[in-house]
Amino acid sequence: MSAIRWDVTFVVYRAKGDEASHFDTFKLSIDPDEYVLDGVEKIWAFEDRSLCFRHACHHSTCGACGMRVNGVEKLTCITLIRDVTQDGGTLKIEPLRNFPVVSDLVVDMGSLYLRMDEVHARPVVPVPEAEIEKSPKEWPPDDYEYLRLSDCIECGLCMSACPISATSPTYLGPAVLAGAQQNGLSRNPSLLEIVDAENGVWRCHSAYECTAVCPSYVDPARRIMDLRRQVVSERLKRLFNRPKPKIAAVQEANR
Amino acid sequence: MNTSKNQPSPSRLLNWFNPRGRSLEGMAFILNRITALGLTLYLFLHLIVLGTLARGESAYDSFIELVHNPVYIFGEFLVVAAGLIHGFNGLRIFFTSLGIAVPRQKAMLYVLMAIALVASLIFGLRMFTA
Amino acid sequence: MAEVTLQKSLSAPKTGENTWLWLLKLVTGPLILVLIVVHFVVNHYIGSNGLLTYREILNYYRIWIVPIMEGLFLVLVVSHALLGLRSIILDMHPSRSVLNLINWLFLIAGVVSVVYGIWLIRVVVANIPGS
Repeated sequence: MSAIRWDVTFVVYRAKGDEASHFDTFKLSIDPDEYVLDGVEKIWAFEDRSLCFRHACHHSTCGACGMRVNGVEKLTCITLIRDVTQDGGTLKIEPLRNFPVVSDLVVDMGSLYLRMDEVHARPVVPVPEAEIEKSPKEWPPDDYEYLRLSDCIECGLCMSACPISATSPTYLGPAVLAGAQQNGLSRNPSLLEIVDAENGVWRCHSAYECTAVCPSYVDPARRIMDLRRQVVSERLKRLFNRPKPKIAAVQEANR
Repeated sequence: MNTSKNQPSPSRLLNWFNPRGRSLEGMAFILNRITALGLTLYLFLHLIVLGTLARGESAYDSFIELVHNPVYIFGEFLVVAAGLIHGFNGLRIFFTSLGIAVPRQKAMLYVLMAIALVASLIFGLRMFTA
Repeated sequence: MAEVTLQKSLSAPKTGENTWLWLLKLVTGPLILVLIVVHFVVNHYIGSNGLLTYREILNYYRIWIVPIMEGLFLVLVVSHALLGLRSIILDMHPSRSVLNLINWLFLIAGVVSVVYGIWLIRVVVANIPGS
C-alpha cells in the first residue's frame, strides 16, 4: 500500500424492498492502487452497514463481485481505482443489468445458473478443450488427461453488457451459448434444439460487448460464432444425411 | 425485491442505441441497427416514389427536378452512406458468422469502415458537385 | 422467477428464427452489397446531372442484363430488409400472436413489393424505344 490518497466520490445505487431506487453519495480518501471492491467494502464498513453487495474470493475466480462501474461492467475485485477514475473524480457504482435486483448491488443470478446447467456447461474441462485459440486437434492426445477449471466464472458481466439481453428475457445469453459451444454439438446433440432457436445463437447481433467486458478470457462472442458454425454444419449434415441417428438415439435413451 | 427497472424488457429498446460505455464493435452494432431501420424505411418510400416512372417522362423528370436541391441531395447522401456502412459492416458479420477470421474481426471492422467512409466521401463529392 | 424465465426459454416453440431463415438473411447480404454499389454508381455517379433522367433510365435498361439485375436486386433487398426487421422485432421477444401477425404482414408486404417492382421494371422495358 502506498501513501498516495485520492479523493473519490462514490455514487452508489441503492434499492431496498419495494422502495424507489436512488443513489447515495460517499466521499472516500482512498489509495488509487486499491480496487473498486475495496472502496465498496470501505463504504459498508465505515459509512453505511445497510449496503448490500456480493463478494467472495477477491481474485477473479468466483465471479461474485460483478458490478457496473461508470456504466461499464467490471469485476470489481480486479478493477483498480486508478484505471477507472482520477483524483477528485467520481465512480458511479450500479448493479449488473438484466437481472432482478435483490438489494442495492446484489442481483438474482438464478436464471444464468439454471441456463448454464441446462446446456451442461462444464466447470472442469480437459486442457485442450478449454482453449479456443488452438483447435483441439493441435494438442497432443496426452494433454486431454490434464484438466483445468473452465475460463467462465459465471460472473454475468456478459449477460449485463449484451444489448439483446436487455430486451429479451428469454435470450439464452452469451455465457450460456459459450458454455454450449465448449460442450460442442457433436458431443451433446441434444443442445442443437436449444441453441438453434430464436432465443439461441440467432439472437446475437455481433455487438461483441460480451467479449469486451469478459474478465476471464472466455471470448463469448467468438464462441458464439463458432457455435453458429457448428449449428450450420450440423443442420447441413442432417439435411443430406437423413434419418438423424444421433437425435433418435438420444430421444430413445431418454424415454 | 426491487425488480421492475432491472429486468429485460422490450421497453428498454432505447438501450440498443445508448453509446455510453460501448466498445468499438458495440458502436458498430448501434450503427448497423440505425442504418438498417433507415434503409428499410427508405426502401419502401423509394419503391412508392419510383411509381412516377409509370406515369411517363414528364412526371418522372419533374420529380427529378424537385429533388435536385441540397436538402434532398443531403438525404440521398445519407442513404448512400448508410447503405455502404451497413453493407461493409455486414460483410464483417457475414465472415465472422461463418467462423471466418473471427480473431481478426476488429481489424476487419477498421478496414471495412474505412472503405465505407472513403466511398461515402467519393459519392458525396460527386453528388454535391453534379 | 428464474425458473419461469428458463422454462419459457427452453419450451417456447421454435418458430421464430432458425438456421435456414438466418442463412437466407446472411447470404443475401454480400449479394446486395455488390448490387447496391452498382446501383449507387449508376444512379449517383454516372448520371450527367446527378440523378438519372427518364431517358437515361430507358437507355440503361436497354442493356439486357439490367432488368434481370434490378429484379434480382429488388427480391434480395426486400427479403433482407424484412427478415432483418423481423429479427429486430424478435429481439423484443414478441408474443406468438404478435409474431404470427408480423409474419403475415411482412410476407404480404414482401410479395406486394416484389410484384409491384417487377411490374415497374416491365413498364420501363416496354417504354424503351424500339422494344
